[in-house]
Amino acid sequence: MSTVITGRRLGLLVCLQCNCPVRALKAVHPRCPRCYAHLHMRKPHSLAVTTVLLILAAILYVPANLLPVMYTRTLLDDERDTIMSGVLVLLHSGSWPIALLVFVASIVVPLLKILALAIVLYSAWRPSAQHRQQRSDLYRLIEFIGRWSMLDIYAISLLVTLVQIQSFATIAVGWGAAAFGAVVVLTMAAARTFDERLIWDEKSG
Amino acid sequence: MPPLIVCPACDLVHRGDAVSLTERTCCARCRAVLHRSRGAEVDTAIAIALCALVLFLLSNVYPLVEFHINGTTRQTTLTGAALGFYDAGHALLGVLVLATTVLAPLAQILGLLYLLLPLRRKRRARRQRTVFRLLMHIRPWTFVEVFMLGALVALVRLSAFAKVVPGIALVCCGLLMMCLAALTSRTSPEQFWHWVARSRE
Repeated sequence: MSTVITGRRLGLLVCLQCNCPVRALKAVHPRCPRCYAHLHMRKPHSLAVTTVLLILAAILYVPANLLPVMYTRTLLDDERDTIMSGVLVLLHSGSWPIALLVFVASIVVPLLKILALAIVLYSAWRPSAQHRQQRSDLYRLIEFIGRWSMLDIYAISLLVTLVQIQSFATIAVGWGAAAFGAVVVLTMAAARTFDERLIWDEKSG
Repeated sequence: MPPLIVCPACDLVHRGDAVSLTERTCCARCRAVLHRSRGAEVDTAIAIALCALVLFLLSNVYPLVEFHINGTTRQTTLTGAALGFYDAGHALLGVLVLATTVLAPLAQILGLLYLLLPLRRKRRARRQRTVFRLLMHIRPWTFVEVFMLGALVALVRLSAFAKVVPGIALVCCGLLMMCLAALTSRTSPEQFWHWVARSRE
């Protein structure tokens, strides 16, 4: 049915580092002649590795949002902040643009990433010819926005370092922050181990 | 056989002689970028890398933010922020912050200088391919621009109950962010290998 000529049909490998096409089917471990990167017809075990990383990220997303990321002890009271309550604090202190920024970066983006990766992965397990462009665009969006979720981790790192005045207040780090950092790293790794070409491959291969 | 271009995102094969390579050539099927213009010069990249190196040193030596409360002052540097996590008992988070805001940018700058300075004199750095490949693996983990916004969020939260003064390093960090972006766009793999090929002529 398809008249599309792909690199796989011609036995051409493409170097994902430098875009150099290579005809090297006979070599056991082909490498790019230009930059010496390992070449594969498709990234090895892409589906399995990405699925595992994504499942781990989805599991950790729960404690990342439920556990406190920060404990603030002041003279007056003790506070435990989750990511969401941190957003509310910002909102009540009157800086709604910043609150919106943190909300998008720390809550919307990770959730969007996990859902989008799940959609892309599901469709790669069961290849369909529909909406390929949209899925590819979705995948590229994930790669682009992924890093911004680290925002809250950096904010916490500065808060923890600065607010260590024993007489006035101390801030301690909660396990929510560690889980959240793990979610960011795992989703970024999952996006990188996924092979975008799986979206476009025909069933027969 | 005409020169072929294979799309790295969807595996479609294009005939190189049928495509006119403009500033940005996209795949006919999936619209991934196949080719960017290779107009940058080695000297420009070196200049930006040196500038980034100076800014990097400044943003690590000077305090990032100063925090005044009840007559006491606390300040922190970029590295200090990573150590804060370490002291709080979350060593892994500390490593993550240190790697993405200090080590990755530094590796990026030094690595590129190591490769580009010999290239300028039409020589090749030792282990050129390995070093460049490593740099490309580190590149996506350079998070300086995210850190800048994170610092902004921290400043807003702290300013609710104390006087917070942004330090010199914060400005340097902002400029470093721009330098790194300029450096990254000028040292794409295609551009780099184009320079290498040209130096052999």
